[in-house]
Amino acid sequence: MTPRGLFAAVFACALGLAAWPAVAPAPKSDFDLEAFGRLPALEGGRVKPIDTFARSTLLVVRSKQTVRVDGRALSATRWLLDAAFKPETADTYPSFVVDDPEVLGLLGLAQGKGRYFAYWQLEPRREEINRQAQSAASVPSGARSRFQTAVLALETRMSLYERVKNTYMPSGRGDPSAELASFQALMRAAIEALRSGKAGKNAGEMMAALDSRMRGYQFLAEAAAFKSVPPLKGEPEEAWASFGESMLRPGAGRATHPSVPLFARMAASYRAGDAAGFNAAVAEQAAWARANAAEAARHARVEALFNRAQPFVSGMALYVVATLLVFASWATRREDVASAARAVLWAAFIVHSLGLLARTVLQGRPPVTNLYSSAVFVGWGAVLLGLFGERIHRRGFAAAGASAVGFATLLIAHHLGASGDTMDVMRAVLDSNFWLTTHVITITIGYSGTYLAGLLAAAWIARRHILRKPDAADDKAIVSLTYGVIAFSLFFSFIGTVLGGIWADQSWGRFWGWDPKENGALLIVLWNALILHMRWAGFARERGIMMMAVFGNVITSVSWFGVNMLGIGLHSYGFMDSAFWWLLTFTVSQLMLIMLAALPPRFWSHARPVDA
Amino acid sequence: MRRKELLPRLADMLSSMELTVFCLVVLMILVVACTLAQVSLGIHSAVEQYIRSFFVWWSPESLPFSVPIFPGGGLAGGLLLVNLGMAQFRKLELSWRKAGLWVVHFGMALLFLGEFAAAFLQVESHLSIEEGQTVNYSQDARRMELALIDGTDGDADDVRSIPAAMIRSRGEIADASLPFKLRVHAYHENAELRMRGTDDPPSQATAGIGANILVRPASRPLGEEQDSPAAFIEPVAPDGRSYGVFLVSPALGGTQGFAHEGRTWSLSLRPRRYYMPFSLTLKDFKHDVYPGTSIPKNFSSLVRLLDPRSGDDRDVLIYMNSPLRHGGLTFYQASFGKNDTLSVLQVVRNPSWTLPYISCTLVALGLLWHFGAMLRRTLGGLS
Repeated sequence: MTPRGLFAAVFACALGLAAWPAVAPAPKSDFDLEAFGRLPALEGGRVKPIDTFARSTLLVVRSKQTVRVDGRALSATRWLLDAAFKPETADTYPSFVVDDPEVLGLLGLAQGKGRYFAYWQLEPRREEINRQAQSAASVPSGARSRFQTAVLALETRMSLYERVKNTYMPSGRGDPSAELASFQALMRAAIEALRSGKAGKNAGEMMAALDSRMRGYQFLAEAAAFKSVPPLKGEPEEAWASFGESMLRPGAGRATHPSVPLFARMAASYRAGDAAGFNAAVAEQAAWARANAAEAARHARVEALFNRAQPFVSGMALYVVATLLVFASWATRREDVASAARAVLWAAFIVHSLGLLARTVLQGRPPVTNLYSSAVFVGWGAVLLGLFGERIHRRGFAAAGASAVGFATLLIAHHLGASGDTMDVMRAVLDSNFWLTTHVITITIGYSGTYLAGLLAAAWIARRHILRKPDAADDKAIVSLTYGVIAFSLFFSFIGTVLGGIWADQSWGRFWGWDPKENGALLIVLWNALILHMRWAGFARERGIMMMAVFGNVITSVSWFGVNMLGIGLHSYGFMDSAFWWLLTFTVSQLMLIMLAALPPRFWSHARPVDA
Repeated sequence: MRRKELLPRLADMLSSMELTVFCLVVLMILVVACTLAQVSLGIHSAVEQYIRSFFVWWSPESLPFSVPIFPGGGLAGGLLLVNLGMAQFRKLELSWRKAGLWVVHFGMALLFLGEFAAAFLQVESHLSIEEGQTVNYSQDARRMELALIDGTDGDADDVRSIPAAMIRSRGEIADASLPFKLRVHAYHENAELRMRGTDDPPSQATAGIGANILVRPASRPLGEEQDSPAAFIEPVAPDGRSYGVFLVSPALGGTQGFAHEGRTWSLSLRPRRYYMPFSLTLKDFKHDVYPGTSIPKNFSSLVRLLDPRSGDDRDVLIYMNSPLRHGGLTFYQASFGKNDTLSVLQVVRNPSWTLPYISCTLVALGLLWHFGAMLRRTLGGLS
């Protein structure tokens, strides 16, 4: 096979594998769960498919996108359907993750076998959990103990789950279809009685029954977790309603919304195990939404496809393969393996880019809007830079560095995404596409550069300790790459930081306020400037520059994540939060690398005249 | 003879790369220290202590004075600026090859000057305005003033104001613009006020609202919270006649005063006011949220700007990321209250606000030039 042919074949294979989740047939089920998941709903201030809400809710409640029941993994949509329509079944699913030993003690549950618990196990202690959470909530977030934070989190998860259960019928009880019919009949009778002015014998009884039903729907309207009834034509675009709110429409003198009986039918047939009836109701609702809320329905379908494709998970896998292939190419010194590594890296980059693009289009925003998306973008920028570096020096270092940063950042993003919806709406002051594009993008590219430089420097240090034979040309290539990347990140971090200042000048009236996030950005600029000046003045030579580049990793991580922990309160929360320990571990690992580099040459695997 | 040697040596030192590196390291340390200190001190004091100072001072309990222990941001930044300027002309060759660096360094110098200018010239205050209200002043809650208003002719703008700093440091204030003297009995930076109970000791105040109020000095709040000061002031006529001791505090509502030579004076301790030669009227304040949530989407204030000097009489919409710039002041949407009928605008006077924009452009172009040329040489060297 020609080298070009090999590259193309590997590239196509990798892309095909990554595309599989999007095109794979859904797991067999009589109920068309996928179609239900594609229905649009309004939640958290934006229209999204019910599938997205189900996934982010399950992530919050269980820290996973699926729930395992009797050895089978149930999808998030299935879990949501069960919770809303068959809560007595969903209550037995191990949906809640409880780790804290003190909270387990409070619940009278044994620590040991599993960390997942079902709602019925927690329910008997519901009031106690509520009481503890209330007293924890009165403590400022920075000063809460580990137990208080944990019990508050558990309470948040339980009430979220309870709201899901109360979205269509009070704790999923009764037959919504029949109830809807009787409610409508009751309403008609009441209106008739009012019109004719003839108050019959049972008028008082009728009004009391109506009143109690209305109060029930009022409760549903307030408890609902999401709003799945789209606005009618002519109503304002944001006038979505929950099922309960729509039920109250006749009371306000308006006709029943056409979606209401459809959702009632879905609930009734789902409870009865009538797959055909359920599927028909879902299809009708989907058709109605396509005709009457076309934009929302289209958006929901595309986002549901994006959720299923999970491009960042595929990308992560491909980055691992690419890294391993680069290592293999170094071990075997075969050009075809190196070419395959490059092909996989390119495929991973394409998948990563498509994911970013899809998010950008879905949100109608620049790619970086929150911490989650910044992680995705930092990786993307580093990979792009690495691919460029690899074209200059085709020795695999830039490729290895790129795929390692790509993998690490996507992994970080994956964990950050566990806190809920990753496409959440932008708070007022951030609502500026212009500044999100200019300031946020440039500063994030600056992060990418510093990480790539740090990783290249780490590779340089590792080679000193691993390789038996020095390879001056390789070393020179790494040094020149690292220097170029540092210059690159100085440019972007400086521009990004100053643009941030200008944004602040535009929105708060001061160019520079010395707040933690600004200071973090400034530290990166100062550090990169310091490295370059040390080099120009000759105070640091190859080794010194490499050590400083590795420390750049620490500075970037601290300004990216560390200052956020500071904002929450340095004293207690920061030290309990697992992210803090990861940051600390990472910092220690980088310091150890620097120490390895600082060791005198006789500790290296090959002795070589030392510089600086 | 030695003088001649000393100067070049000093110049060498000031233009050395060692000094550049030293200043950069000092700045990094200060930035880290300032960031960490914000947790306990709040952003304002932390910046004053570490960045907008020439030295970081340490005041141990056992010493009556403070000791400078580390260069502050002003010193490090100033030295870096001198270093930059000296090195530029003594070391860096004037050539196309180095043109990018020239531009970068010039832009950096501007950026530093901008921050120095902001530190000395920038004045921040707030303007609270209710719907329908017209306001022609802004206030600075960090600085207090004792306002004495001659209300005889019903003209509320006839105000004599005395900065709180003066009250704090003096026992008696005689001002040419005041027909009486003011005797200061006490000044508390932060105090708690409550109604005096029957068991409480008598108040220091003998006139006005203060006679029924108990004042307890409190420790100053940490972080961003603001002081609530209180003072006991006694106006004394030139003939030595006292008008009684008044309690003044921004926490007190209502007016209190006395009559002097047929004119009625009122006195109050209030946030310092900056009067503007124009006025703003709030027509409408809007607080938009995302549908179905309480997440804010936008805050906006529709104000009418009336400036007889410039002949302006127009409506302006001030919203997030879109301030009003008028008469050397910039008005930003900062906060809101009273069930969305009160808007708070931040008012900033910063004559040097354009410097960062210019400097950012210069540095960007310079770096692009320099690194671009570098990259071209690298790529050229490889092929």
